[in-house]
Amino acid sequence: MKKLLLAAVAVMALTAPTLSTQAQAAKIGVSMAKFDDNFLTVLRNGMIAQAKGMSGVELQVEDAGNDVAKQLDQIKNFIASGVDAIIVNPVDTSATQAMSDAAAAGKKPLVYVNRQPINIDTLPANQAFVASNEADSGTLETKEICKILKAAGKKDANIYVMEGELSNQAAVQRTKDIHEVMAGPDCGVKLNIIAEQTANWSRDEAQNLMTNWISAGKPFDAVIANNDEMAIGILQAMKAAKMDMKTAIVGGVDATQDALASMAAGDLKATVFQNAAGQGAGALDAALKLAKGEKVERKVYIPFELVTPANLANYQKKN
Amino acid sequence: MAKSVEGVGGLTYDKSKRSWPPELNVFAALVLIVLAFELIGRFFLNDSFLFNLRPDVPTFFNELRLQIIILQVAITGIIAIGVTQVIISGGIDLSSGSVVGATAMIAMAFAQIGVVNGNPNPTLALTPAYADLPVIVPIAVALACGLVAGLINGSLIAFTKIPPFIATLGMMVSARGVSKWLTKGKPESFPTEPYTFIGGGFMPVVIFIALAILFQLILTYTKYGKYCYAIGSNEEAARISGIKVENHKMLVYTIAAMLAALSALVLSSKNLTAQAGMGVGYELDAIAMAVIGGVSLSGGRGSIIGTVLGALIFGVIISGFTFMRLDAYYQEMVKGVIIVAAVVLDQYRQRSGARGK
Repeated sequence: MKKLLLAAVAVMALTAPTLSTQAQAAKIGVSMAKFDDNFLTVLRNGMIAQAKGMSGVELQVEDAGNDVAKQLDQIKNFIASGVDAIIVNPVDTSATQAMSDAAAAGKKPLVYVNRQPINIDTLPANQAFVASNEADSGTLETKEICKILKAAGKKDANIYVMEGELSNQAAVQRTKDIHEVMAGPDCGVKLNIIAEQTANWSRDEAQNLMTNWISAGKPFDAVIANNDEMAIGILQAMKAAKMDMKTAIVGGVDATQDALASMAAGDLKATVFQNAAGQGAGALDAALKLAKGEKVERKVYIPFELVTPANLANYQKKN
Repeated sequence: MAKSVEGVGGLTYDKSKRSWPPELNVFAALVLIVLAFELIGRFFLNDSFLFNLRPDVPTFFNELRLQIIILQVAITGIIAIGVTQVIISGGIDLSSGSVVGATAMIAMAFAQIGVVNGNPNPTLALTPAYADLPVIVPIAVALACGLVAGLINGSLIAFTKIPPFIATLGMMVSARGVSKWLTKGKPESFPTEPYTFIGGGFMPVVIFIALAILFQLILTYTKYGKYCYAIGSNEEAARISGIKVENHKMLVYTIAAMLAALSALVLSSKNLTAQAGMGVGYELDAIAMAVIGGVSLSGGRGSIIGTVLGALIFGVIISGFTFMRLDAYYQEMVKGVIIVAAVVLDQYRQRSGARGK
């Protein structure tokens, strides 16, 4: 027993110096909405790569598994374990008030990344938001589709709209962008939406939904999807129904590797690059600044970039 | 003639109590739902659900719609076949969806091509030495994954006696972790061409129907099948009559997991990608298909034919709601109501049978 006690004291004495040096490193707690999402993985890896390049920054990354309650618990755990700042990729963008309140009560800075929180305009001074402005993504995509339709000589066109998961602000905003471009002066073609339905960001659901739409037999000119995975599912369905890929006009958002390959093969006609790694690194920078007590812009927007077959080569290394 | 209805099992129905097999009820429900969509289409939308109204296409039925109705449920249907025999044996399997995700990620890692459009494949999970392998490799790997998962499930349930719900719940959570681990969440894409034939075109339906016929025959005519019903009806009686219950359970769960692994092959081949989030919720859909098809959650009753009809009902609902341009939330609400209604009807059938009506 005495030996055990001596051993324990010795271990503590040996680790005590390391404990005190660890206290000087900045500890950032990160809660990601999901680990198994294409885009969010690039974002997460961007953050981790940025942290590796800096000395004294320790990241603890957790997976909220698309569960709102779990995410709030993770944030409370971070606060309790004494992190210097928290980065949150919200599962549900309407549930962020509770998270902001918890961070404010625990006096920890918090940075939202990639998904716009509902309380964006009332964030406390030590909280910020880093993302790309979703009002641009759908807009760039739709304007490009309009351009392609106009170049094909159409005066009006029938389109299908495929939405992402409707509990994500990105899906809602990108769809809103489509409607705004349609109603505004920038689209040289009159667009009629035949149907607008969700496929929950999933390639398989999109493939099934598109096949259902094709079976309805209504002639259509283009399909605008809220993300690349669904756009690829749409193209797969159109291929299976033996439609001509050269005249198929389908647009997506994200510029994933799969989408760029599809574009290089001549199938996908438009996508929008969202700089995931840039958002991750930007969020980390903002969190570190807030942890040191410096001031940061409340909304930091990383721009979206339109990708077409013309400038495709620039993006093949990025996502 | 005193007939006890409890423990009649799913093989035969009590001819003195009813004159038709219970699957006919499910078939009648399917026909009613199809008719409902057809009528709604005719009266409110000026369109037809089943029939082809386009003058430029010469077919009588809207063939693409009929095809998509079954195609969109074929993959989950393969899982449902495995789950049906598990539930009939008195167990439950919650891990199917996660096994699909993990198997898809692991198998696809061995099915990728090395070069895409002149550049190296950016989504390669393993080193380029593992690219462009013959298609038998990912198929064997997938079946091996299913085998391992099934053996783990089966041994936990058979030998440690923990409830199947808990054992398969553990597998559900761990397997999902495995699917995220291999590539740290990144997707794997661009399979070799032979791999795309596994799930391409109408193959998912062909595989589903072939397996359905095979397992219906197995459950009805083989010893294995009769043991499933026996163990599900009364496990103690089965054990006392000399059936090796533990070994049988191992076999049942292993087969279920291997069917889930097979459906992972078909799914990743159909979509030309494997993603860590694949298969989420598939186990619940599979169980729902079985339950709607007449499989009793307390074991001992049900058949593969019923499960196939349950799968078709799901397919008709998905296509019908898209036909009506109703959103996904309505589909989900109705799905829940139908599952509950099916089980309520099932309870009513059991109780009215026991009362000797």
